[in-house]
Amino acid sequence: MRLPFIGLATFVIGFVAAHFIVLNALPDYIMSKARERMTGSGIAVHAWQMSPRVTPETQTIVRPSPDLAYAICIIDVSGGPVSLTVPTWPEYGSLSIFDASTDNVYAGSLDARLPDAPGVRRIVVALEGQAVEPAEGVDVVVLAKPEALALIRRLAPSQGLYDAAAALVPVSTCGPA
Amino acid sequence: MKIGSALVGLFLGALLGFGSALAAAGIVGPGARFSGAVDVSGWASDWTIGSKAANPWTRARVARHGLLALTKEEAVYFTRNTDDAGDRLREGCDYRIKGEAMPAQWWSITLYNSESYLPDNTDNALSFDLTDAASAGGPASWLFDVSANPSASGSGWVSSRAGGNFDLTLRLYKPDADFIADPERVLQAPSIEKLGCGEAN
Repeated sequence: MRLPFIGLATFVIGFVAAHFIVLNALPDYIMSKARERMTGSGIAVHAWQMSPRVTPETQTIVRPSPDLAYAICIIDVSGGPVSLTVPTWPEYGSLSIFDASTDNVYAGSLDARLPDAPGVRRIVVALEGQAVEPAEGVDVVVLAKPEALALIRRLAPSQGLYDAAAALVPVSTCGPA
Repeated sequence: MKIGSALVGLFLGALLGFGSALAAAGIVGPGARFSGAVDVSGWASDWTIGSKAANPWTRARVARHGLLALTKEEAVYFTRNTDDAGDRLREGCDYRIKGEAMPAQWWSITLYNSESYLPDNTDNALSFDLTDAASAGGPASWLFDVSANPSASGSGWVSSRAGGNFDLTLRLYKPDADFIADPERVLQAPSIEKLGCGEAN
């Protein structure tokens, strides 16, 4: 094979390999960095943490919504399934789970106005292969990797609504099932 | 000689592949869209955001610019960085945003700088939402201004102070099913009219 073709062929191989290796690794890398920042700021694993009301000074992730009250729980199911219970909210609200690759693998409504609103949303997060007892009214989320984040969003565009949302965090749970 | 040529090609290809991946993800620059794109009058979205169906470019870009984004069944996100004339949105100009009823349970429009963060100001005017629209006359026909100084018109105001070259993100929570099925037909996308620019700009 002629020299220019050898160089061109290895160039293409190097380009494609590096491009997709980096591209596929980025979500996991960014998510792990986000977890590191959270734990580094004192957020414990398996404990709901209310985020400060979103302002330019308090924002820690990209594109936060200043109209929402956020609470987060860092999940690690390597030791077994994790159970979450979260009260509903009189306005828009959701409980969502994001896996280690940033995918939104679960979203459940917390809007108490909906006809099928449960009062308290209950879910169990487990790793593939872990045994989970099915229970009525409990959603099961299965992960491919043990690390995940649970996020509560509640519509709270005023300080009063933010305070009301914050008051629900102590009565929410996130811990081993 | 052949081995040397192969190694040089491999190194240069890997270098370019590394850089192009960072660019596509928006680590450097705005990022790239290759599929799943939804565009309604300049408001861009991607219905695969947050889902495993997203291609690797979308996944990487969302991880960088929209971490913890929800799937379309729960929320959709539209972003726009140009006005109706096609000019880049920037802090030195004033804009009027007009819209109609949105096909969702709740919506908001928030201003972010080019780094995808809220602008570093203390104006307490970061977004305009359904609550604001309802209190300002009704969610079926609403308007607000975007400018670095408070709106003199008496309408709603979102501050672009310290925003530099910014964009607006329209969030639609619990979107209607017919809107998800046919966004270009259902969504009456908000207009962005440039009112004027400062002399220094």
